[in-house]
Amino acid sequence: MKMIWAVIRPECAQRVITALDGVGIGGMTRLHVTGHGRGMGITLGSVHYTEIPKEMLMIVVPDNYVAKAVTIIRAEAKTGAKNTHKEGTTGDGKIFITYVEDSFAIRTAGKAGMKLKE
Amino acid sequence: MKQIIAIIRDERVEETKTALEKTGVPGITFLYVTGRGRQKGTANAHELGEVLNRNFRMQLTSAETAHGPAESGKEISAGSLLPEKKSESGFLPKRMLVIIAHDAEVESIVQAIVNVNQTGRYGDGRIFICPMITAIRVRTGERGDKAIS
Repeated sequence: MKMIWAVIRPECAQRVITALDGVGIGGMTRLHVTGHGRGMGITLGSVHYTEIPKEMLMIVVPDNYVAKAVTIIRAEAKTGAKNTHKEGTTGDGKIFITYVEDSFAIRTAGKAGMKLKE
Repeated sequence: MKQIIAIIRDERVEETKTALEKTGVPGITFLYVTGRGRQKGTANAHELGEVLNRNFRMQLTSAETAHGPAESGKEISAGSLLPEKKSESGFLPKRMLVIIAHDAEVESIVQAIVNVNQTGRYGDGRIFICPMITAIRVRTGERGDKAIS
């Protein structure tokens, strides 16, 4: 089981969610975050912004879904003209993947004298 | 060292905090998040009645006021309050707890969270246990297990 943290543009979030739904990845958690990447933010006129609003999706999936999820997030969160050398622009986001050793559904964990994990 | 990520109902946060204090957990980080499970947040809206989160409850109160006390006994279905959430693909407000704990403490922390948060309804939340490589206390620079005890 793996945990996927995807930092994406807020305007792409809905597209990504709908697409993940399409392949049966329904459960996810959404966080509003701010941050910047190697670009160190953006300068608009005379103002420099380092805390750019992003949307973070936290998805836990079985190992065999990871590649599928990453492909979908990349396809939907990428901006710029498709199929050209300009595909993707700075600030499209990042995807991080970590291990999950164990997971519990609180609703059913340890019910009726069972072990904590079913 | 393990990272425990728990996603729980908004209104159980205080009870959870109290329960976790008793297990001697070193520290907790709380995040406001929205989320959904396989039910996509709305499928069991009619069951949510008593477990509506704070925001919904506020709407419920104002709806009751608008109808006047005579009609306040009338059942207001939770489903009627949900359409605006549906537009957001059924994401409901939840609270995320992040706890970094020693390996030996994980079991008791998970048990404490489950005890307080289990209602048996959809939307009780999840707990994920992830490995954590190290921790550093900013104040002193201590590393590893010392940083979280």
